[in-house]
Amino acid sequence: MYELFKGLGAWLVSGEQWAGPDGIGHRLAEHLQYSLLATLVAAAIALPVGLLIGHTGRGAFLAINLSSFGRALPTVGLVVLVFLVSGLSMWPVYIALVALAVPSVVTNTYAGMTAVDPEVRDAARGQGMRWHQVLFQVELPLALPLIMTGLRLALIQVVATATIAAYVSFGGLGRYVFDGLAQRDLVQVLGGAVLVAVVAVVLDLALSALQRVLFRNRPTEQVQEQAR
Amino acid sequence: MTVEWSWISDHTGDLTALSLSHLQAALTAVLLGLVISLPLAVVAHRVRPLRGLLLGLSNVLFTIPSIAVFVLLLPVSGLTRTTTVIGLTIYTLVVLLRNTVEGLDSVPARTKEAAKAMGTRPLRTLLTVELPLALPVIMAGVRIATVMAISLVSVATYIGDGGLGQLFTDGFQRNFPTPVIVGVVLTLLLALVADALLVTLQYVLTPWTRRQKQGA
Amino acid sequence: MNRRNLLGGLLAAATVPALASCSSGITSLDGQGAGAGGGGSSEGGVTIGTANFTENQVLGYLYAAALEAAGVKTTVRPNLGTREILIPALKGGDIDLLPEYQGALLHYLDADATATEEGAMQNALAMALPRGLQILPYGEAEDSDAFVVTRKTADAYGLKSLADLAGHNGKLVIGAAPEVKKRAVGAVGLKDVYGVEFKEFKSLDSSGPLVKGALKKGDVDVANLFTTDTDIVAEGWVVLTDPKNLIPGQHVVPLIADRKADSTVRKALAGLGNALTTKDLTELNRLVDKDRKDPEDVAYDWAAEHGIKKK
Repeated sequence: MYELFKGLGAWLVSGEQWAGPDGIGHRLAEHLQYSLLATLVAAAIALPVGLLIGHTGRGAFLAINLSSFGRALPTVGLVVLVFLVSGLSMWPVYIALVALAVPSVVTNTYAGMTAVDPEVRDAARGQGMRWHQVLFQVELPLALPLIMTGLRLALIQVVATATIAAYVSFGGLGRYVFDGLAQRDLVQVLGGAVLVAVVAVVLDLALSALQRVLFRNRPTEQVQEQAR
Repeated sequence: MTVEWSWISDHTGDLTALSLSHLQAALTAVLLGLVISLPLAVVAHRVRPLRGLLLGLSNVLFTIPSIAVFVLLLPVSGLTRTTTVIGLTIYTLVVLLRNTVEGLDSVPARTKEAAKAMGTRPLRTLLTVELPLALPVIMAGVRIATVMAISLVSVATYIGDGGLGQLFTDGFQRNFPTPVIVGVVLTLLLALVADALLVTLQYVLTPWTRRQKQGA
Repeated sequence: MNRRNLLGGLLAAATVPALASCSSGITSLDGQGAGAGGGGSSEGGVTIGTANFTENQVLGYLYAAALEAAGVKTTVRPNLGTREILIPALKGGDIDLLPEYQGALLHYLDADATATEEGAMQNALAMALPRGLQILPYGEAEDSDAFVVTRKTADAYGLKSLADLAGHNGKLVIGAAPEVKKRAVGAVGLKDVYGVEFKEFKSLDSSGPLVKGALKKGDVDVANLFTTDTDIVAEGWVVLTDPKNLIPGQHVVPLIADRKADSTVRKALAGLGNALTTKDLTELNRLVDKDRKDPEDVAYDWAAEHGIKKK
């Protein structure tokens, strides 16, 4: 085990390992591309759905159970299934990653919306706010912390799972994991795994920083005051 | 993409065996996860400095791709079921630890003080007051961990195990959708059934939550 | 997940190796004791491991059929991975028997091996094998590695042999299973023997859907396939010739742990090896890949047709 970590040190700092199409730099960029694009697409799908369900209260059953369904969906199976339909393309990777991310975002967005105090909502309506004003000026800001939690959870899952891209011939940091498995080069596997974990942690910290900036501009209490 | 129904009817025996093997791996991992996470959660709940460390460590573990965990375990436990179970246990641990700590946190301080005032010893308080009251939150964790483990088992197909996951690599190698579709459906089904059973179990284990609801 | 937890976790993660360092090398406990020599026994049953491609699984079940006909209990563990994963598992005791290929196995054990003739390779293998493992007589059937291009690529670059590839160094992309990147019968040997340097090595699979899909689509120019893959002929692909004999003979050969190699096993596998031809093996592969038969079924059916069945 000690040898493994010593090897990891050498692997991570070797200049050769960082350069070229199979270099860490390129694989890192690929991994970020897969993860961020998939999470963005998932957010674009899931946020409106979650907000709508939360605002109207219709489809709550779906919102609550979707995340459980999402957790149960085996990613390897989904990737293979889409591969058999689409052939060699990025579709299997993106569809599987989006399918993984959507449930967390929908469920958390819905949870955020239901956590909004009904009195605040009623007060806003009483002031004559239109539905979209209530949604965007009152409910959304109040639901934002939980929405962000959902996005962060989704991003972490997507970053860890984007490893699967390598199974269907593509790049990303998963290349090191799958190649390392085939070559029984455990240092390479560990290197890939550690890099994935670092990417996930760094992105999570970045989102948490973003969250704090968002709240500085629009403190929750202020919104609540306005609503009253 | 068409489903070859005859393939399914010809392979009911294999499919049953794979489902059982799949379930066995997942459930063993959840049980092990529970056994390990309970004492850790009690420690994390009581010893503040350790709390951040334990929860943080488990969060970082969660960011490591599961296939890498399985591969890295090869020098330890080889191409065996043990490797699959250890790998899965790590992931169930993350969920179970977090929920159990949150469950223990959710027990009102008043209740614990009352138990103390009545002269109940700490261990007894833990077993007869805190854990039962934390049970709903813990059970929520058990449900999440179980469903997640059932879904994750298939990743172990890359190290020659993986229960229903073997249908995925098989279908992939032969450009044959039927086993893959069957594998996905059966995995979802197993997760659904296991979750429903856990809900029932929780219902049976926590009669007081029902009485409260009826009373309200 | 808050920030403090994450940082705490990173710190804690750094202490993990210390906890884990005590646990190396525990594999299955059974079957560790047998030393070199002929003292093996198949009485407790034989576990056959197979690699992650169709043909190896077919071979695994053929071995099982032959052994069962001789009264040996067997377990087949299909799709375990690559040779790089399987041989440590064989040494560790997770599996006992493995369908192997002479040349590829030899180069895995000894990257500098020079033997190419079947008998010489058999001797070289016996020398190169680690303690506790042995090979049995090789079979009639052969499945070699082939480096294949499409007709279009062959015409465009004037490719007939592996030597011709060197005229286009830095321009062509090769697709093969990830392990081939580091293998002598692969990217390493192509460079050392023919001076071929590719623009890129794409990690795909072993004569499977990825490498064949990529070749068809033009994502790779050169693909590493198996000679027993019926798609080579079906698709009209061109197999590059090997004038310098980089690719050694690849007769199927059983690799077995000493602890299980008794006379019953030897006799059963030798009988199978003599009966199974390359043509048979190619057809069995086709039945599994194209007709979607189970590897187990085609293997046992073939065995029964050839008089190999339980009495």
